[in-house]
Amino acid sequence: MRVMERTFREQLFFLVLCLSVLKGDSRYIETNEISKDELFSFFNSELKRETPEALMYRRPLRCLDMVAVEGQFTFTAERPQLSCAAFFMAEPNEVLTVEYDNVDIDCRGGDLITVFDGWVMKGEKFPSSQDHPLPLYERYVDYCDSGSVRRSVRSSQNVAMVFFRIHNAGSSFTLTVRKHINPFPCNVISQSPEGSYTMVIPQQHRNCSFSIIYPVAIDVSEFSLGHYNNFPKRSMPGCAESGDFVQLLGGNGIDTSKLLPITDLCISFTGPTHMKIGCDNTVVRMVSSGKFVSRVSFSYRLLDSQELQTIKLNNVEDFCFNN
Amino acid sequence: MKLNVLLGVGALLAVFLPRSADCRPADADAAVATATGQRRLPLMLPRPLLLLHLGEEFSLRLGGGSAASSPSIPPSSSSSFSSSAVNVALLRLTQRLLQVRAEQQTRAEQQEEEKEKRSEEPPISLDLTFHLLREVLQMARAEQQAQQADSNRRMMDTAGK
Repeated sequence: MRVMERTFREQLFFLVLCLSVLKGDSRYIETNEISKDELFSFFNSELKRETPEALMYRRPLRCLDMVAVEGQFTFTAERPQLSCAAFFMAEPNEVLTVEYDNVDIDCRGGDLITVFDGWVMKGEKFPSSQDHPLPLYERYVDYCDSGSVRRSVRSSQNVAMVFFRIHNAGSSFTLTVRKHINPFPCNVISQSPEGSYTMVIPQQHRNCSFSIIYPVAIDVSEFSLGHYNNFPKRSMPGCAESGDFVQLLGGNGIDTSKLLPITDLCISFTGPTHMKIGCDNTVVRMVSSGKFVSRVSFSYRLLDSQELQTIKLNNVEDFCFNN
Repeated sequence: MKLNVLLGVGALLAVFLPRSADCRPADADAAVATATGQRRLPLMLPRPLLLLHLGEEFSLRLGGGSAASSPSIPPSSSSSFSSSAVNVALLRLTQRLLQVRAEQQTRAEQQEEEKEKRSEEPPISLDLTFHLLREVLQMARAEQQAQQADSNRRMMDTAGK
């Protein structure tokens, strides 16, 4: 009897459920114009709404230029321009794609458009060859070599640049720059001289650098080597033995492998470590063996002229002030 | 004599009459000719034998060769005729394949050399001071903020409608 009652109750509930569904008391799926109208669109991690062509930001590209926004940038040569470069920059947690469009140049005549995965200045490159996943020759993508095959170049970090040389007036090309979220940023150049950042290397055997191209006062608030379950690791003896440490580097170039180490942080700690670094480029570099989830948090602010003067006078080793 | 004439006419008719669907004209592609050569061999056999019987001399078209340039095979032995024609076709195909392979190899080697040269060359670079870099960075940030403000204004205008 009780079993019959239970069965009857289950059947009744099922009937009520069906009736409510058929009646339409459930909310219907609203179309969301952000998501594409495809069956498996929710599996797509690139589900950002792309800017429609009509609303895309457009402006001319200059011979020496820096671009920090998405959009289309057209360079038209009014006269021969033999040494031009444009730097592209995104937020620390973004990467860039650069696409060639409407390219009208004379490759055989010596014109070139080359996208570089990173930044190059005075022969020095960021990220350094040690910290970048690709060999150097693969980081240069020349339109004249591979433009018909490879029309889009994706950067490995938040910076990229393009070199171009145009011999004939009237030649032109357009570059479309887009930004994409990078869930695990590694090498970053900071857009601003002040801010804060937390660098995480999730159990990967790699080295990551955060570069600040200003003289700054930097506070490292936390450095931890955690397991995957986020329990903090006890302090490890010595940087060389652990293989996981944070370097503070400084110098007058952008290649982190050529900067001088200011200090190393090897032991997990919580609590600020203050440093004032009067160099053109200040870098927080984390070396990770892959055994831990390495995390370092820091904040930085621009040094004023008074502080810079004080540092210059007090420092015995003035390697950052050598011209 | 009359019988011979009749046989000859009959042979000519057999040659020039339209053939069935699976026959294709000999074109410039030796691979096609040879790829189907062995398959077509059983079909080819009766005609050469018939023509040889008449003491006629004929030439076989192979892979782009004209009737005049292709080897004219004397009607000496019927058994070796087809195999020699096929051998010639195979030889030509092998030569062509070897040529293509050699070209591909040289192209790959050239590409490797170019890659090595490129890796040895000093990378393209720009001589720029940090001061100038910061100036253009500041301009780019100002542009970004202006563009963000414009985007926000358009969004508010759309929301307000």
